[in-house]
Amino acid sequence: MVAIVTTRQCFFAVTLGVSLAIAGQVVAAPEIGPLPVLKVNEARAELGKRLFFDKRVSGDVGISCATCHEPENGYANKDALSKGYPGNKHFRNAPGLINTAHKKVWMHDGRIGTNLNDVTREMITEDYIMNMDMRIMQERFKQDPLYVEMFKAAGLGEPSNGGVRKAIPEYLKTLTSRGASFDKGTMSASAKRGMKIFKGKAGCVACHNGPVFTDGKAYNTGVKENFDVWLDPQRHQAFIAYAAFMGIKNYMNLKRDPGAHLQKHAADGSDMGKFITPSLRELKYTAPYMHNGTSKTLADVVAFYNRGGDNDRNKNARIKPLKLGKAEQKDLVAFLLALSGEPLTSSKHVWQEAYPAEYPVIANWLNVPN
Amino acid sequence: MGSFNKAEQKAPVLFLIITVVVTAVATMATVTFAMGDKPPATASKVSLSPMSAAEPTQPQVKTFAKVANPEIPPLAPLGPPPIPADNPMSDAKVALGKLLYFDPRLGGDASISCATCHEPEQGWSFAEGISRGYPGTVHWRGSQPVLNSAYYNKLFAAGSTPSLESQAPSAARGGVAGNGENDIMEARLRLIPDYVNRFNDVFGEPWPTINNAWKAIAAFERTLVQRDTPLDKYLLGDKTALDDQQLRGKTLYEGKARCILCHNGAFTTNEKYYNIGVPRATRWEEDGLAQVTFRFEQYAKGATEEMYRNIKDDAGLYYRNKNKWSMGKFRVPSLRYTKYTAPFMRQGQFYTLEEVIDFYDRGGFDEEGRTTSFPETKTPLVQKLGLSDEEKEDLLTFIEALSGDEILMDKPKLPPYKPLFTRAELQAAQAAK
Ligand code: HEC
Ligand code: HEC
Ligand code: HEC
Ligand code: HEC
Repeated sequence: MVAIVTTRQCFFAVTLGVSLAIAGQVVAAPEIGPLPVLKVNEARAELGKRLFFDKRVSGDVGISCATCHEPENGYANKDALSKGYPGNKHFRNAPGLINTAHKKVWMHDGRIGTNLNDVTREMITEDYIMNMDMRIMQERFKQDPLYVEMFKAAGLGEPSNGGVRKAIPEYLKTLTSRGASFDKGTMSASAKRGMKIFKGKAGCVACHNGPVFTDGKAYNTGVKENFDVWLDPQRHQAFIAYAAFMGIKNYMNLKRDPGAHLQKHAADGSDMGKFITPSLRELKYTAPYMHNGTSKTLADVVAFYNRGGDNDRNKNARIKPLKLGKAEQKDLVAFLLALSGEPLTSSKHVWQEAYPAEYPVIANWLNVPN
Repeated sequence: MGSFNKAEQKAPVLFLIITVVVTAVATMATVTFAMGDKPPATASKVSLSPMSAAEPTQPQVKTFAKVANPEIPPLAPLGPPPIPADNPMSDAKVALGKLLYFDPRLGGDASISCATCHEPEQGWSFAEGISRGYPGTVHWRGSQPVLNSAYYNKLFAAGSTPSLESQAPSAARGGVAGNGENDIMEARLRLIPDYVNRFNDVFGEPWPTINNAWKAIAAFERTLVQRDTPLDKYLLGDKTALDDQQLRGKTLYEGKARCILCHNGAFTTNEKYYNIGVPRATRWEEDGLAQVTFRFEQYAKGATEEMYRNIKDDAGLYYRNKNKWSMGKFRVPSLRYTKYTAPFMRQGQFYTLEEVIDFYDRGGFDEEGRTTSFPETKTPLVQKLGLSDEEKEDLLTFIEALSGDEILMDKPKLPPYKPLFTRAELQAAQAAK
């Protein structure tokens, strides 16, 4: 096993220590700061990289992970609401995947809190995402000599469903932020002022904290619905399938995204519309924002918080008008941008070789074991 | 939902790991019924295997011909298909079933419908030896005609499904067929107002449910029957319906050519399972995509690790009962409507009825002398026939008399999706949050 270091170890004390110093209103939140270093098995990550960009991972070989998680958009997507499996569309925004390996809870509603192996399975098998019967996927890859080699080199035996679910998470570990001015200690004066506001007056750090800028918890922040979820039957059908499966009551009549309601199903609906605090790193690449892409720009997001969110009786008490001036809002945006690093779009992270157009025939088929 | 339905399919892998361990430990002492197994001591034992217990014992060709044999139901005019008590027919249900049959939204990526693989213009089947599959795949068997399928007690080449109602979902959901999941297909139906009205009308439900979609399709399939072939007319008293050559063919069918042993009764099948000697489809040796599906099917059908590694042909009935003497046995298909359903046999091994007749004449060998991969289970009922060219021609004209006119159907116009809520309703809900 070869371990490679995916984040730079050049961190600066300036980013540490400051956060909780601004006492008073801020609760004891984990400090914002540099990302920890993840050990990566290179052979597995390489295999995961090839899989991530391979359309043969989807049922009708129409889409790959990268169809929705595009490298040039921080492994998110410019669409407010994500594409879906051909035949339907999705009802949520595709989140960026840079630093996803540093999280403890996944999906906008937090329905997966175990590991990326489970997230990977969900993405591959979910009927409105990749709709893949993993038994067919496994046989496809046994029919690709390069995969046979790569699985072996990765210590995963012959191509298998389980191996795929180990290799892709390993690759996701390599998608770790690099070179953000926040990490390098090269933030502009405006960004530095923004950081103060972030930790102080605006109270953002109460939820967006720790090295990934998320506490992994769910809140209702009063984000308004994106009506396209219901006005486009191809999205609504995926939403219905999801809500029915999650056991949401009265799902045919539902006109809002229940979010983390599915975790405890509060009878009074007071947990409706809670979403997991997202990471704030790499936002430069991942517009539009929020679970449903209703904020087009970071200026929109800051304006949203400044007006105290939109109407929702379940809204968290922390979300209230901030009375930030124009300059303060700009500074806050500058700080958010300082959390974005270099794009991860080179061959180090992107599989650039062509995939075989056909499955080569196994010669002498009758005489070799399947 | 997909994640769970499809996650269940992890089972074979786990199972595979276990079997690997077991075999490693027990050094394969346990299961040894792979391909090279010894046939049973006597041929008669073969025909006593559970599913073919009722195989007629080797009849004398001369004696059973035309002689009333209580074991062999005679050819007869085809009656109406049986209608199950829990799915009565109605015009509205059939009309709904027809729409659904042609609607690709009852499949994973909404690109292929039942009709794509069971095309009216292709004999209500698909005119390739191995059927097309779900996009990105190929199937591993030939598509069977849906026309007249209402008469079968067991569907599919290996009879794995007991009714049209339960067949439709396995077709719509199978990974190399429809690859659709119930929840998303059901959700689609609910966003098509015309379907919502029709399901309400037919089944009295506020929202379409997927099981009723299968019922409607089954009801439609029960209207796809052909009961006015020349043979039906002849047997109903129109003695001009078959010409002399066809009548000579009929005599051969019921006598020297032995077809009646299995293709008997009104539906021309005893619905039993035999290995008649059909050789392996050559496509698996030539086509990587077909090799992918071949292996997948072994998993999907629950083959053991050892069998998965070694098998090189479709084991047919074996997948159902896991009895090694069922290897390579297939359901006897009806010979009705075969004029339009080439190619023939489970993987379309033969392109024409002439080739089929030659195959039987040689005692279950193709023209290159190839036969079944499972010789130990081959039925003794298929033997060299010694038919002359003329006799073969006569038999062929009779087989053709088991088909009437081609039954075609225009594709219906499919009802569109419509949003369930108006923008105003959504705005009101937003304001009330
Ligand atoms: C059809 C579009 C689509 C495809 C293809 C797709 N995803 Fe996603 N992905 C999404 C959407 C939308 C979400 C958010 C879902 C939600 O919150 O309910 C998501 C969420 C995720 C998350 C959780 C991120 C987080 O921080 O919570 C991960 C990880 C992920 N996807 C990885 C993958 C991988 C790996 C693949 C390929 C195996 C893949 N995705 C394929 C659309 C897609
Ligand atoms: C009460 C906890 C909480 C506070 C306080 C908070 N946020 Fe958030 N933030 C969230 C949640 C939850 C979401 C996700 C909402 C959604 O997807 O609908 C979010 C979303 C965002 C996003 C969108 C990220 C993306 O990838 O879509 C940005 C940017 C953001 N917050 C910035 C801030 C800033 C700046 C502040 C301070 C002004 C702040 N947040 C305060 C909880 C909080
Ligand atoms: C991708 C191609 C494909 C699609 C789509 C498909 N089928 Fe099939 N169908 C087949 C094949 C191949 C077989 C034979 C399978 C076997 O024997 O194992 C078959 C068998 C059948 C049979 C059994 C007939 C018999 O003689 O036992 C019926 C009935 C049937 N299909 C109906 C349907 C219906 C209804 C749908 C739509 C819900 C459908 N099929 C969709 C390929 C397809
Ligand atoms: C021992 C029973 C048996 C006898 C006798 C028999 N058949 Fe068959 N027949 C079968 C079985 C079983 C199949 C399906 C085999 C397969 O798909 O591998 C079949 C398939 C066929 C098919 C292909 C049908 C289709 O839709 O693909 C034709 C045509 C046919 N038989 C004609 C005949 C004729 C003509 C005779 C007499 C010369 C005959 N059979 C005698 C059992 C029999």
